This record gives sequence, structure tokens and C-alpha cells, in this order.
Amino acid sequence: MAYSDKVVDHFNNPRNMGSFKKDEEGVGTGMVGAPECGDVMKLQIKVQNDMIVDAKFKTFGCGSAIASSSLATEWLKGKTIEEAQKIKNTDIVQELNLPPVKIHCSVLAEDAIKAALADYQKKADGALVDAK
Amino acid sequence: MARSMCWHCQSEMAGEYFCERCVKVQPVSKDLDYFTCMGFPRRLTIDPRQLETKFYELSRAFHPDFFQNKSAEEQTISLGNSAMLNTAYRTLRDPIQRAEYLLDLEAGAVKDIRTSPPADLFEEILKLQDTLDEYRAADRASSTATTLCAKLQAERTTLERRQQDMETALQQLFTQWDALQDRGEVTDQTRAERDRILKQMRGILSNRTYVKNIVNDLVATIS
Repeated sequence: MAYSDKVVDHFNNPRNMGSFKKDEEGVGTGMVGAPECGDVMKLQIKVQNDMIVDAKFKTFGCGSAIASSSLATEWLKGKTIEEAQKIKNTDIVQELNLPPVKIHCSVLAEDAIKAALADYQKKADGALVDAK
Repeated sequence: MARSMCWHCQSEMAGEYFCERCVKVQPVSKDLDYFTCMGFPRRLTIDPRQLETKFYELSRAFHPDFFQNKSAEEQTISLGNSAMLNTAYRTLRDPIQRAEYLLDLEAGAVKDIRTSPPADLFEEILKLQDTLDEYRAADRASSTATTLCAKLQAERTTLERRQQDMETALQQLFTQWDALQDRGEVTDQTRAERDRILKQMRGILSNRTYVKNIVNDLVATIS
């Protein structure tokens, strides 16, 4: 089994690798892992006026996990919170041509997106309460 | 496992894997768990030699080589049974896989492990990976590299000790599980005990791979 060209491309030239400060305003952080393989993924979004203006990731795992999260950050940029919620792991599978044994990597990326969005929401709600 | 009826002669089944009347091999039910299939109770301590003996015994009974001159149905059953037996043996032979499998059986889908990711551990791993990157980028002869290397060595020692602790804790939980099975009674107390053991086991099992991976990375980078 070989990785698809797209996976290899994301692996060799990962997009948006890095991180934001967790407590920075408008930043949502999602950290997820796959206990079966031990991969760890951190995905962060920066939101302004309900729009994701930037996204970063750090993934320690296999090529497919790195490619999935790299692709996820590319897709997240420029999306609204609502649009971002709709990203499905199957979209990632399709785009990257992931074989069945690597589908869990795309699930991990979707979980990371969801976790980052939830974290952002929690922080935003908290800020609202503080303001009151 | 007594099945109600032989697929071939329709007589009542009394034997385990073969019909006593027409001597035809019987398909192992897909619903049968690996412990039952291999004739072992659901315990986490299994004598590997006993397991191997049972595996060889059943292999001889099911192996497709012995069914070459038999009917197509029997060949199919022999193939299916052998495949199941191999998987069962591989799963039960390894203590960790055995425990994962038992968790699957006892606590339903393992998938909900992901609902509570060990955030502290992830935090720690990501920080360590950053230090590893720093070290990889640093000039090996520099004092920065020496400092980083010492730091990573210390981390490695700590993590390896934690791995040891995890293995010990797992072993204890295995023993506790078996003891609980031996008691055989079902009360509110034993139910609570059972849930505690399963939960703790799942916690350790889902963290140990993360720790293993980072230790491997550490070892590969600094030695």
C-alpha cells in the first residue's frame, strides 16, 4: 500500500504547522489522540467575527494523520464557525484518497476540528459571562 | 458449545465442534467469544502453554488440509473455523490484546475512550516533542545541545519509570479481575468493583501507547 500523492505532498510540505498561544483571544484549541496507535494531534483556530481567519496544527503520528490535519487547517481558513462544523472525515478521506486502514486518521482530524470549535465556543461564552 | 442441530444430519448436537452422529465438522458460531472458543474462562491470567496446547488441538481438528477430500460445505466450515481460531489465539496470547478484547466484551465499544482524552498527557507530549525538535535542530557540539540532551535524558528516565508503574498497575488490575471472577457472586458491591477495574484498565491501556511512542522517539533521538 502506498500513500497517495496528496498525502505525500501534505507530509513533505505541511501547511500551517505551528501553534498559537492557547490563552490568546479568539483562539480555540483541540487536542485529540488515537489510543490504538498513540498519535497525538493539536489543532488550533483563530476566530474573528465568527470567521476562522487562521488555523494551525501540530501532529505527531503517521503520514496520513499529518496530512489529514494539514488539509483540515487549509479547509478551515476562511470558513465561518457554522461552515467549519460541517467538515466531515469522509471529505478528508475522499480528498486524500485514504485507504480503509487509515480512515481513523481522518476521524482524528474531524474530532480535532470539533474539539477546537468547542473550546473556542466555551471561551467565547465565558468571556460573555465575564463581560456581564 | 452445544448447537441445537447438526447442519448436515439435523440430529441434536451434543458434541462441541463435531456432530456425534454423522461426525461432520460444525461451524464455530460468529457470536462465540474467543475465550469460549478456546475453552478458557474470561480471565486475564492465562497459562501460555495451556493456551498453546488448546490451539494445537483445535488446529488439528479444523485445519483445511484435513478436509481436502471432504465436501465443499465441510471445506468452507474448516476454513472459517481455522481463521477464527487463529484470530482467537493471536488475541488471547498477548496479555495486552487479551485485556483490550475483554474490555470490548465486558464494557461494549471501546470507541468512547476518545471522549475523555488525557489532556495533561497530550500537553506533556507536545512540549516534549518541541524540545526534541529543538535538540534535533541544535548543533550537537554546542552547549545548548548538551543541556537539551541532559533534559531529555531526565525525561526519558521519568517516563520509563511511569511505564513501569503502568505495567505494574495493569498486572494488579488483571489479578483483581480474576479474583472477582473467582468469587462468582453478583452483588451491588461486586458490580461496582467490576466497573472500577474495567474503567481503570481502560484508562491505563489508552494511555500506554502514547507514552510508548514518546519514549521510542526519545530513545531514537538521544541515543
